[in-house]
Amino acid sequence: MTESNGNPRREFLGLAGKAGLSTVFAQALGVNLGLVNVAQAAAVKPFSFAMIADPHLYGAKDHVFDKQLEDAVLQVNEMKEQPDFVVVLGDVSHNGVLNELEKGKRILSNLRVPIRSIPGEHDWYLDMGAGWRANFGDEFWSFDHKGVHFIGLNSILVPDFWTKAGLTPEQRRDWFMPLNSPVPGVWGTDARQREWLKKDVAKLPTSTPIVIFTHSPLWDYYPRWNFQVSDAVQIRGILSKFTSVMAFHGHVHHTLYNKIGNMTSIGTMSTSWPWPYPPVKLPYPQFQQYRADPSNTSDGMGTAAVSITGPGAGRMQYAPFADSVPQRLIDGFKI
Amino acid sequence: MNIFNASGRRLMSLTIFGSTATLLVVSVALARNPFTADELKAMEASLTQSSKRGYDMWYGARADMANNGLACANCHPDASATNPQTFPKFMPQFDRVVAYRDMVNWCIENPQGGKALDVSGEDMIALEAYSFYLHKGVPIQTGLQTRQTSGPTPKNARGINVPGTGIGFDKK
Repeated sequence: MTESNGNPRREFLGLAGKAGLSTVFAQALGVNLGLVNVAQAAAVKPFSFAMIADPHLYGAKDHVFDKQLEDAVLQVNEMKEQPDFVVVLGDVSHNGVLNELEKGKRILSNLRVPIRSIPGEHDWYLDMGAGWRANFGDEFWSFDHKGVHFIGLNSILVPDFWTKAGLTPEQRRDWFMPLNSPVPGVWGTDARQREWLKKDVAKLPTSTPIVIFTHSPLWDYYPRWNFQVSDAVQIRGILSKFTSVMAFHGHVHHTLYNKIGNMTSIGTMSTSWPWPYPPVKLPYPQFQQYRADPSNTSDGMGTAAVSITGPGAGRMQYAPFADSVPQRLIDGFKI
Repeated sequence: MNIFNASGRRLMSLTIFGSTATLLVVSVALARNPFTADELKAMEASLTQSSKRGYDMWYGARADMANNGLACANCHPDASATNPQTFPKFMPQFDRVVAYRDMVNWCIENPQGGKALDVSGEDMIALEAYSFYLHKGVPIQTGLQTRQTSGPTPKNARGINVPGTGIGFDKK
């Protein structure tokens, strides 16, 4: 495994032992990053990873969402095909306070495999990510694993609206609480991440399979609910040279599928509550989950797993807590 | 013959010459707006005030509606997936036909762990005002909804006609 985001990471070293022999050999010889990736792109080895999204933990003891995240952890730990790692797609906490983030880290530490995380807006705007970074590391990153290049971005950034208005950190955070908040505007990544991404993928051959994670979808789904990344067109442009891009996101709290150019975009269920579909025509309505039964507190939530079966080829499986999705989405579908 | 409105104000006097003429004149008379512009403005302001109160409660303004931090909007942004126009209807958790306000109180007491509202109090009416207002124009179709439904499409930031704060993009 190789990593790059300007900072070496220690939390994720568990994956190094599972990296391909070619990678380890290349690293031992001090081969540069580009050459390592050439070697990996040529040899994708089958593996899987899992995703957990939007736990929205509150600080209260024994809050119902604690149990739901614990259920998600159990579900992943019991997956028949054990994932090599788990990606947490943001909004671990609801109010962004330290005890919520620490609780999230504690519950997620029961996973048997390493995790990688990207932030959600609920994690971020109380202290501009300080607590989240202290618990979950860098806000954007990349690494290579068994021939696939993985990228995580911070997609919930907006221009400063709080300084001029003289808002307290709590007031700033609270303007992000409603999904349809009238104040912050549409969010996305930023110029710093786009420049980093350009460099990150510059030397990768076009045949390298790309998997990218953002909190919100990399296409304009429903901006009123911030179901978009404002600079998605630019992100997709940077990745347009690749044969295959798989994009995964949280934030929407329901199953979702789209295909734009070389990118397949897939949304995940949350572990906290399901959100209805917005009043727009879905590009692929056959990937809708069922309407949740409010009297069943497990309905409408769950986790997901992806099996990488070859270069640019994968199989996606939703793992709902209850019978919330059509069976074919549980059995899995090709990406 | 004199015709009066509900407040006793005389709308018109007419002399009947024939049935056709009578129908024509009466229908014109009844099509006249029974309220003055000022009356309409006052009524609209009252409805907006109630809807705004409902909006604030929907987003967590009344603390005793939850014991776990959850608000209506956690699951129902823009009052989506509430479908107030489909009530009264059978709800499995009640095992009977209930009104929309019964379902609102069920959500407050169960997922939110809060204290039920007085079903005829101003707060309940405010919640109804907000969610019904957003569904204005949606056909009334009482009955079960078992498939996914899409939420309403609000015309402005809050979906109700209230002034914005001026912070960030909140202009209206």
